[in-house]
Amino acid sequence: MSKYEYVPEPALVKGNHDFASITKLVTDVNLRPTPKLWYLFMLIANALLGVFLFAVGYLIWEGTGVWGLMNPVGWGWAIINFVWWVGIGHAGTLISAILFLFRQDWRTAINRFAEAMTIFAVICALMFPGIHVGRIWVIYWVFPIPNQMAMWPNFNSPLLWDVFAVSTYFTVSLLFWYVGLVPDLATLRDKATDKIRKIAYGIGALGWTGSNRAWWNYEKAYMILAGLATPLVLSVHTIVSFDFAVSMIPGWHTTIFPPYFVAGAVFSGFAMVLTLMLITRKVYGMEDIMTNDHMEKMNIIILVTGSMVGFAYIMEFFIAWYSGVEYEKAIFMLRATGPYWWAYWTMMLCNVISPQVFWFKKLRRHVGFTFFISIVVNIGMWFERFVITVTSLANDYLPSSWGYFSPTIWDVLTYVGTFGIFFTLFLAFLRFLPMIAIAEIKAVLPQADPHNYDENHEYHPHIVEVPKPKVEKV
Amino acid sequence: MSEVTQNTYWKSLNELAQNKEYKNFVEREFPENATELTDGVSRKGFLRVMGASIALAGFAACRRPVQKILPYSNQPEDIVPGIPLFYATAMPFQGSLTGLVVENHEGRPTKVEGNDLHPGSWGNTNAYHQATILEMYDPDRSRSPLRNGEKATIQDFVAFAKNYFTDRNKRIAFISEANSSPTYTTLKQSALRKFSNAKWVTYEPFGEDNAIEGNRIAFGSRLRTHYNYTNADVVVSLDDDFLSPTHPNNVEYAKQVTGRRKVTSNSDSMNRIYSIENGFTLTGAYADNRLRVKASEVEAFANALAATLSTRVNGLNAFRSVNNHFTGSDFITALADDLASHAGSSAVSIGFAHSSNSHAVVAAINTALNNNGSTVNYLQVPSFDNQNNKQAFADVVSGMKAGNFDAVVMIGTNPVYTTSADLDFAGALENVDEVIHFGTYKDESSKSASWHISRSHFLEAWGDGFSFGGARSVIQPQIQPLHDSLSEIELLSTIVNEDLVSGYELVQNTFKGYYSGSGFENRWKDILHDGVDVKEVYRKATVSLRTVTPSQTTSIDGIEVVIRPDASIYDGRFANLGWLQELPDPMTKITWDNVALMSPATATSLGVENEGLVNVAVNGKSITIAAWIQPGHADDSITLNVGYGREGIGRVADKGIESSQLFDPSENYGGVNIYPLHTSLFASGAVSVTKGTYKIACVQDHHSLEGRDMYRQATLEKYKNTPEYASFAYVHKYAVPGMKEAAELGEDQPISLFDEQTYSADEPQWGMAIDLNSCFGCGVCVIACQSENNIPVIGKREVSRGREMHWIRNDRYYMGDEHNPQAVHQPVPCMHCELAPCEQVCPVAATTHSDDGMNQMTYNRCIGTRYCANNCPFKVRRFNFFNYPKEYLTSGEDPDIIQMAMNPEVTVRFRGVMEKCTYCVQRVNRAKIDSKIKTKSPKPADGSVVTACQQACPADAIYFGDLTDNNSVVAKMKHNERNYLMLEELNVRPRTSYIAKLTNPNPVLVDETNQEPAH
Amino acid sequence: MSTAKTQTIETSELYGILAEFKNPRALIDASKIVVEAGYDKFDTYAPFPIHGIDKAMNLPKSKLGWIVLTTGTMGFLGALSMMYFMSVMDYPLNISGKPFFNAPAWVPVTFELTVLLSAFGAVFGMFFLNGLPKLHNPLFNVERFKKATDDGFFVCIEAKDSKFQADLVRQLFEEAGATHIEEVYD
Repeated sequence: MSKYEYVPEPALVKGNHDFASITKLVTDVNLRPTPKLWYLFMLIANALLGVFLFAVGYLIWEGTGVWGLMNPVGWGWAIINFVWWVGIGHAGTLISAILFLFRQDWRTAINRFAEAMTIFAVICALMFPGIHVGRIWVIYWVFPIPNQMAMWPNFNSPLLWDVFAVSTYFTVSLLFWYVGLVPDLATLRDKATDKIRKIAYGIGALGWTGSNRAWWNYEKAYMILAGLATPLVLSVHTIVSFDFAVSMIPGWHTTIFPPYFVAGAVFSGFAMVLTLMLITRKVYGMEDIMTNDHMEKMNIIILVTGSMVGFAYIMEFFIAWYSGVEYEKAIFMLRATGPYWWAYWTMMLCNVISPQVFWFKKLRRHVGFTFFISIVVNIGMWFERFVITVTSLANDYLPSSWGYFSPTIWDVLTYVGTFGIFFTLFLAFLRFLPMIAIAEIKAVLPQADPHNYDENHEYHPHIVEVPKPKVEKV
Repeated sequence: MSEVTQNTYWKSLNELAQNKEYKNFVEREFPENATELTDGVSRKGFLRVMGASIALAGFAACRRPVQKILPYSNQPEDIVPGIPLFYATAMPFQGSLTGLVVENHEGRPTKVEGNDLHPGSWGNTNAYHQATILEMYDPDRSRSPLRNGEKATIQDFVAFAKNYFTDRNKRIAFISEANSSPTYTTLKQSALRKFSNAKWVTYEPFGEDNAIEGNRIAFGSRLRTHYNYTNADVVVSLDDDFLSPTHPNNVEYAKQVTGRRKVTSNSDSMNRIYSIENGFTLTGAYADNRLRVKASEVEAFANALAATLSTRVNGLNAFRSVNNHFTGSDFITALADDLASHAGSSAVSIGFAHSSNSHAVVAAINTALNNNGSTVNYLQVPSFDNQNNKQAFADVVSGMKAGNFDAVVMIGTNPVYTTSADLDFAGALENVDEVIHFGTYKDESSKSASWHISRSHFLEAWGDGFSFGGARSVIQPQIQPLHDSLSEIELLSTIVNEDLVSGYELVQNTFKGYYSGSGFENRWKDILHDGVDVKEVYRKATVSLRTVTPSQTTSIDGIEVVIRPDASIYDGRFANLGWLQELPDPMTKITWDNVALMSPATATSLGVENEGLVNVAVNGKSITIAAWIQPGHADDSITLNVGYGREGIGRVADKGIESSQLFDPSENYGGVNIYPLHTSLFASGAVSVTKGTYKIACVQDHHSLEGRDMYRQATLEKYKNTPEYASFAYVHKYAVPGMKEAAELGEDQPISLFDEQTYSADEPQWGMAIDLNSCFGCGVCVIACQSENNIPVIGKREVSRGREMHWIRNDRYYMGDEHNPQAVHQPVPCMHCELAPCEQVCPVAATTHSDDGMNQMTYNRCIGTRYCANNCPFKVRRFNFFNYPKEYLTSGEDPDIIQMAMNPEVTVRFRGVMEKCTYCVQRVNRAKIDSKIKTKSPKPADGSVVTACQQACPADAIYFGDLTDNNSVVAKMKHNERNYLMLEELNVRPRTSYIAKLTNPNPVLVDETNQEPAH
Repeated sequence: MSTAKTQTIETSELYGILAEFKNPRALIDASKIVVEAGYDKFDTYAPFPIHGIDKAMNLPKSKLGWIVLTTGTMGFLGALSMMYFMSVMDYPLNISGKPFFNAPAWVPVTFELTVLLSAFGAVFGMFFLNGLPKLHNPLFNVERFKKATDDGFFVCIEAKDSKFQADLVRQLFEEAGATHIEEVYD
């Protein structure tokens, strides 16, 4: 016998579920009457949303000056939050597209949910480019729309690339998400008992029957979308990073930004997915589907991307020294030891040190601990954006125009408010849409595999379990 | 509730509501301190501003003077709308005139420039001259006379004068500002003739009394010392800040001193400036050798200098005996040698405020050095009183206290504010029944006056006078008085003649005296046209030195408290001018406040940081003020600037609490009144740290160059050996990156990834060069730019948030030892980079390049992403975080006269748009159009385009012109080996370049004032 | 249900015959049989895509790829020509001294628009090929067919099929091991 033994993948779905029970498990959430707790959460979310609307209203009424911006720091929390939210918005598409191409079937448990998170995060992100400008009422000038000035946007501007990148990313993610939803909406349509749901889900399902001729094109489309979304998801944060990399400010003007931003985005995205997943699966009893194996896999990704980000931080320092550009050297020394040292070291601690604990399997599989780290990581990533945006501007070329940025209450309220948008949408999603891709989950059940049946159509699944690793002496 | 109803409501309660709410409301309502920004900013309001300003243009047009006045440049048939006219006039300040030319749009004065023909100006100005236009349109100016606080009219006063001043035995005390006007002097004499019991004193808190008295001691007659630095190879300033606008003749002196430092090749020579002072002044920063000593030791230094010189030149034997801790020091020996070897071509001066005896000593030194006649002249000034005014003023005040006066007439002075507490001037006024105060503002003195007479601004009224050097001019009004007011000569004639005679008549009568008969009419036209009549009227006295003995100096052991006028608002008379309040102090870069300046060592020993409160006590009186560390300040010496801490003067000047923005802590502003402590220049004082801090709005947080190469300089010696000292290659020891490759391709600019746009040959290409060797950092360019380009005043909070709007700023860096550093100034406007980093990042192409190579902002395309400002390596872009213009231009009154100060050729920028230096594109295009009409070519002749900053600069440090014309001055400057680009390695190709600084320190002292180029 | 049925019998004609099978394997085998029997107007229904059923039903290759290629190309060319028109032809501006035709700067926008239009092609192309949205389908008249999106595996041979004969079809399904057979009326 061979020295090695085939160790099969652990079952993706725990407990002995069949198709019907899966359907029930997921659709019940949407079909059963709304739980009290949901209303409570929704109320809090709406309150935060109110805060956002108030803060933005005041901003528009008074002017950008209500924020802490100044010379030389022309970009503050608004841009930080934008980059932060977009970063979070990377996990969903990455999970559904890249993991799909890599045939990582475990993605099916979380992709729906991660995609939803992506879309809502991108919505939050999109708020900021809109409101951070001085004249919000003419923001539409960034689009190539014929206007009375007969002028067109400036295609040399990274900010304009952003407009295209982020809006494309949003649209494609939305389509991707919807395509995935269609068969599940059909399921809900057929499960729904009351007229309103029947009609609503019916419209959403577009008359999907589950015809295999349709599935045939459907899978093709899904594959192509995944193929398109993969470079797209990588391009978005690349282009966001151009906002900085293409400028000439020390600490911004660096070629490492694209990969480093993408890594950071995946890092924070997965952390956010974990944060939400761990709560949701508890509340809705989805442990069978969103298992600790998923959690562990995601923790591994966090460990990897976190280390990549850490590598980038160190690389920046090295290159600053190696380039011999005095302004570069100065800005990196100032980041670590200057007026913003606290931000820099918070970032280092949260993003580089904290994920290293996931080298230990015990911690990778520890729910409470994972939850804690997932929060820490997102704090760290916010500080990363703060360090990049603010410190570079505050201490650039001419010492005479160095300054110190401090936010006002309105910066804070606007940021906190975006969580209102996010959770309002997310709670609505949990309530009204299937949080798990039912069809896809069914497809990865052993029962779904024709090879698990004999010619009399009897079901003979081979038992799948993780065996104790045997070490044989040779 | 809408603003309008608010206004009327409060206005009706105006007199009653002296309560906190009302004060807050006033502060909220009143823009110049920009607390407004927190109230609802409505576009309606903005439109109202625009509407109003259009209306005002018409309103202005019908206010043209009735008297015939002649345009300075070319006389049109009639006013062509849109084409400004230029009229000559002159600004009186500190008993001397500076000739000006005022730009008028449809009969509305909008901009002040210097008069090329006037010896006090030679075409240039200082910040006070530039800001005076704002003073005329100041909504807080006194708009009518007050009788016992009640609104009255000029007619009422004339009626009053008719019966009150008939009694020739009235015991009247005239307390007048210094005024050079011959008409005024004549009226003064007739007044004294008329009222036999009258006393006349000229009171100026920082006047030249001691200098005059010093000359009396030295030469026996009351003379003005007038320097001619053009002939001076060695200039010694004993605590005499003659480059600062606080000096009545700073424009002429600045021009002369900097004129001797225009170095075009390494064979040229330069004058050498020594400065001995306690604080860091503009003159000290510009000096080649600076010695920091306590102000109380300056006199001792003067004696020691005389002593050291006595062994080298004749005529100072009286000083042989002097021996103090200065005698024998390296500095004084080297200085004496230098002076002795430049006898006849050196000039020693000492600050006005120093004792009359020390002035006599300096007079003796200059005489001994044979400087008299070549670099120093002593002028006989008719307007001088034949008395020691300091003494006379004290006598008058004690007379008032004793009840020896029936009436006091304060003409253009504000003694209640500007006298020290122990004099108790306000108390003295109580023993006088008729107190007549004549001034521009309803100020401290007018509060305790039975008559307040509103003063016509000099741009509104006829007048005359002499420049510091004695050139006679007529002050020509540019517009009819905006308010019910009198000029000082009209006031005086009303008192003397008991009837109102128009200023026009009075002035003409004076000049008819000079030009009798028919010749007068033509002469009169020329005088008005040229703005100057005779250039040297004051006679130069031929002086012979009496025996001057060393003055008895008392050195202050502990801490000395030095009190000086403020560089921005002088003695407080400009306190309500937002432009000047927001003009950063040339050295400290502080706006809106005064502080207690002290050396780092003193601060350490006191244990106080910047903004920490200290209590300063001088003989019993004490004030609490924020401390500020001034590197290079003398130890154990505290410098305080007067003019702040005003109450009830106006919206800008008044101190108080800003109505705080939601959730923001309210902040103090307005500064502290120093006058209670002010008895003399310096006094022994006690300083103690008290709890708390006071927020200071300083526009420059970081004062070190960090060893960077933005500012390049060398000593004259070094320049002779290494002319290329300013080049990038020399500073960095390697060529500009991309230059080698470019050379291979035969290009003269570093290579770039793109094949750049080229400019058509038939368009001019604008460029600017700033000569750091001339610039001494006064900051007039900032105000000139603000006036020309309608830059709003944004208030202390916004400035302290780092949102200053000035299009040209004046960076000040300290170099070398923290305790005794060198300070350098560097004006930074937009660099108009050819490969501008700001342009490519704008998503909507709101900033682009013009065919004549200027980096342009398209305001109405800008959406305000601020990306351009971020990407500007020079950080010269300014953002309208709030609707500043609305806050600045609307006071709630109708009409908003301050809007008349705006330049109609420049857009008023709205909230949310970016703005920056335009190279005065409105001037450029006017010149291009003219040139197209005249010569069919869009290239104006060299010198026909002058930017506002360039025109104002008394040091002629700024050169601007067409780079395609190789003979243009700017092109020549750019070919000079000292020309360098800031951040050249970025290859953004700035159109604005710098001419590296040169210093000329005494080789013997070169170690003490070690000045190496920064890199 | 029965009432519903009778009612449909009266009002509408036969659409096809629907058979349910008990699991994916059964469905694959059934569709093989149906194909062998030479039916072509038929379809199979499952709550999820079943591995290998395309071969069993011998489905032609999907045309979606071609649609995406077309729209993608449109996006690519559209983006380039838009930027060329705007920055070179219609309103050229000297920006940072950069050339009007600044190709490197145009890469991101070109890429994004290419991806965007490809995505549109993929999604709406798929809907088009599947004849979606289609809000009425005779199969929905069959109560049992609701299982098709839950755990039901169906085959339906349409009456339109040239070979269609109700009894033969029923027989075929029985032999194929259908657990349930019923007519579908429209």
